[in-house]
Amino acid sequence: MFKIIKEMLPPDVRVARDTQDLLVECCVEFINLVSSEANDVCNREDKRTIAPEHVLKALEVLGFGEYIEEVAAAYEQHKLETLDSPKGVRFSGIEMTEEEAAAEQQRMFAEARARMNNGVAPQKEPEPDRSFDSQNVDHV
Amino acid sequence: MRQAGIYSGMMWGKKPCPNSLPLSRIKKIMKQSGEDVKMISCEAPLVFAKACELFIQQLTVRSYKVSVQAKKRTLQKDDIVTAVKATEVFDFLVEMVTASNADDCMKTTRERT
Repeated sequence: MFKIIKEMLPPDVRVARDTQDLLVECCVEFINLVSSEANDVCNREDKRTIAPEHVLKALEVLGFGEYIEEVAAAYEQHKLETLDSPKGVRFSGIEMTEEEAAAEQQRMFAEARARMNNGVAPQKEPEPDRSFDSQNVDHV
Repeated sequence: MRQAGIYSGMMWGKKPCPNSLPLSRIKKIMKQSGEDVKMISCEAPLVFAKACELFIQQLTVRSYKVSVQAKKRTLQKDDIVTAVKATEVFDFLVEMVTASNADDCMKTTRERT
C-alpha cells in the first residue's frame, strides 16, 4: 500500500510513518463502510453471496460513483484474463479430452512409482497421435 | 507422489498484480464489518482492492495539496485530517481521524512532561 501512496506523490515528498498508518486505517474504515452497504444491497436483492455488482452499487450509494467506472473496467479486465488463462499453455499447448488427461495422469503416477522403486527415470513410449515433448516412458 | 509444475501451472495460471492490496486481508475486514455478513464471492475482494486503491489515491492527493499549501515537504497526519474534513464523501472518516490525531497530541504532551 505504501507503494501506491508513494506513486501518487512527487519523489521529493516524504510521508511520515504514522501518516502511512493513518491512511491504512482510513482504508480499513472504507472497506468496512462499503462492505456493510454491499451486504445491505445483497440482502435487499435476496442473494446469499456478495457479488461485485453489489459492491459497485454500494459505492454509488455512498457517493463514490466516480470510482465505479474504473473499478468496473478493472473487473472486466480481470474477467478477460481469467477466461484467457485456462486456454493458455497446458502440456506445451496441447488440448486433451478428459480421458486423455486421466490417462496422462496415470502415466505420470506410474512414472513416479517406477522412480521410487528403481531410482531410475523410466523411458516414455512415443505416441503417434500426440505431439508431446520428446521423452520416452514405459507404461508400468 | 504427485508431479508438480504441469498441473499447478494449469490450476494457478493467474499472476498476482504487482501493486494490488492483499486480498486475504480485505476479505477478513469484510467479514468483520458486520455480524450477519453473507458469503463473499471470490471476485468481490478484487473489486474492493481496486476501489481501495482509488480511495487511497484520492485521499493522498488531497492531503498532499494541503501539505503544499502549508509549504511542507512531508505529508503529516494533520494534512490527512484537513483533507478528510474538506471532502464530503470522507465524512465517515472525520471522527476516526480526529480521534487518532487527538490521541497522538496527548501522547506527545505526556512525553514532554
